[in-house]
Amino acid sequence: MKEYSRREFLRRMLGNTTRAGVGTGMVYGALEMRESRTPPQGMRGDLGIVRPPGAQIESDFLSSCIRCTDCADACPAQCILFFGPEAGALHGTPYIQTDEKGCTLCMKCGPACPSEALAVLETKEEVSMGRAVVDERLCVSFNGTGVCGACHTVCPLRNRAIIQDHRNRPNVDVEHCTGCGLCEEVCIVRDRRAIRVVSGRFNISEQEQEQEQDREEPERDQTEEATS
Amino acid sequence: MKIGIRKLQILRRTVQISVLVGLFMVPIIARYHNYAASNEIDRVVEKWDGTAAGAMISTLDTAIRLLPGAEHERAGIMQRDTDAAIAYAQQIRGSVWSADIGPLSLTDPLAVAESSLASKKFPWVLAVGLFIPLLATLLLGRVFCSWICPAGLMFEMNDKLRGVLRFLELPPRNLRMERSTKYGLLAAGLLLTTVLAVPVLGYIYPPAVLSREIHDLVFATFDRAEHGRFGFWVGGMSWMTFVFMTIIAIELFVSRRWWCRYVCPGGGLYSLLGTFRPLRVKLKHEKCTECVLCVAACPMGLNPMKNEMGMECDSCGVCISSCNDDALGYAIAGPSKPIAQTSPEAGP
Repeated sequence: MKEYSRREFLRRMLGNTTRAGVGTGMVYGALEMRESRTPPQGMRGDLGIVRPPGAQIESDFLSSCIRCTDCADACPAQCILFFGPEAGALHGTPYIQTDEKGCTLCMKCGPACPSEALAVLETKEEVSMGRAVVDERLCVSFNGTGVCGACHTVCPLRNRAIIQDHRNRPNVDVEHCTGCGLCEEVCIVRDRRAIRVVSGRFNISEQEQEQEQDREEPERDQTEEATS
Repeated sequence: MKIGIRKLQILRRTVQISVLVGLFMVPIIARYHNYAASNEIDRVVEKWDGTAAGAMISTLDTAIRLLPGAEHERAGIMQRDTDAAIAYAQQIRGSVWSADIGPLSLTDPLAVAESSLASKKFPWVLAVGLFIPLLATLLLGRVFCSWICPAGLMFEMNDKLRGVLRFLELPPRNLRMERSTKYGLLAAGLLLTTVLAVPVLGYIYPPAVLSREIHDLVFATFDRAEHGRFGFWVGGMSWMTFVFMTIIAIELFVSRRWWCRYVCPGGGLYSLLGTFRPLRVKLKHEKCTECVLCVAACPMGLNPMKNEMGMECDSCGVCISSCNDDALGYAIAGPSKPIAQTSPEAGP
């Protein structure tokens, strides 16, 4: 067996310990990353990211938002949150977690935005962040376990965006729903809300929707033309 | 003259520190605005008595109520005029990356460049925010770096720690790099921004990182207080803080003012914009005794004795206050030419 001097022994021990520590740390880090692959809070699977009112379509929003915090500072409802660096290119962009706090449509974030990522809108009706979708199996008024009507009561566009029938069953009118998420916030079915906001621009005219779709996917159209 | 420059240095430090304090204040004011809008100030102050969040809100409330018109008499006692308080709280928002102070709208030129290049549009709100910073940079040069930048303040304090290390006979290394690195990084970042259509430089630009982290820290502290847990909560900050700490460590042990001198893309943009500025630090050759004090003092690693305060100089005036012979001073002048041929940089 080879003999080391004390200094050499200490040096080697320190070096090996460091190497072992770094190696273990890397393995644990990799495992940890694999474990924590759950998407950040604002990304809600198929429901999409709800952006603050006046937001442009997602690709334009990502390019023109400068990732400052002006919209959250202007928001009196504390509904605007920000993605962390784990969200990649979304880092620093605002979103609304509609099941925690919905947007009250006060329209203060648009004028606060220093770029045109959030456009200045005149009225609440112009806002199109998404649309509320009622899950009829979960909603107590629909499935017969109770009578509620909370979403209808809280809706900023009551009797236009959410219309109630004689059994307090909510019906969402896509033409008017802005996707503010106040209904999702107050929904009494807590674990998985019976009314949830799907992000997207639904209450604008079909012509505008087509134009925006063309702008969203120009590359795909070009490749289709090229192949045909 | 000498005393005037000393006062200017004190003023500069005061401005820097107030900007850093302001970065903490603005999110607190935003939360105050939120609580005031829902008429919850009194409840919150009472409920959070003796905690950090409660102290912040109650102190701010006291300060705002001292402002004219923020109180009105009702039932014989002076009470808060909520509308006036909200109006005051709305006067300031944002960070050093982009801010609204009263009627002023200020946006970092780097943010404007990135946003317009990524979206291929130039809306006029960007131009409004750009106006004052651009004008200041064209006339005065990199003054954002030396007067406003909160990261710059931290790097300067860090620079003083290097002196402590030297005193402890652990002299830190001073690696030198090409100064053009920052222009390369700026060009690469703007190109990547244009191609990816995502503003990428804002993710690593230290003042923007620091602004977002402080904002998250304060907001997370209040969010936790609402759930009954008190104290400043560092968990609200993200790992971008560690990126910032890495820069601090590099500047402390490897290279003096590494980021500002060689890497900072924002500093690069300010340098380019301030190339033809009229305000410059000028050397009076007849007074100079070549004591090299200014060379040792310059945070940017320039050589004021060779009169090479070109685009790299951030007009901080440290060299002027270090000079014992009154040979350096601010002057309105054109681009300065180095009197000697460019030689390897002197300096610590």
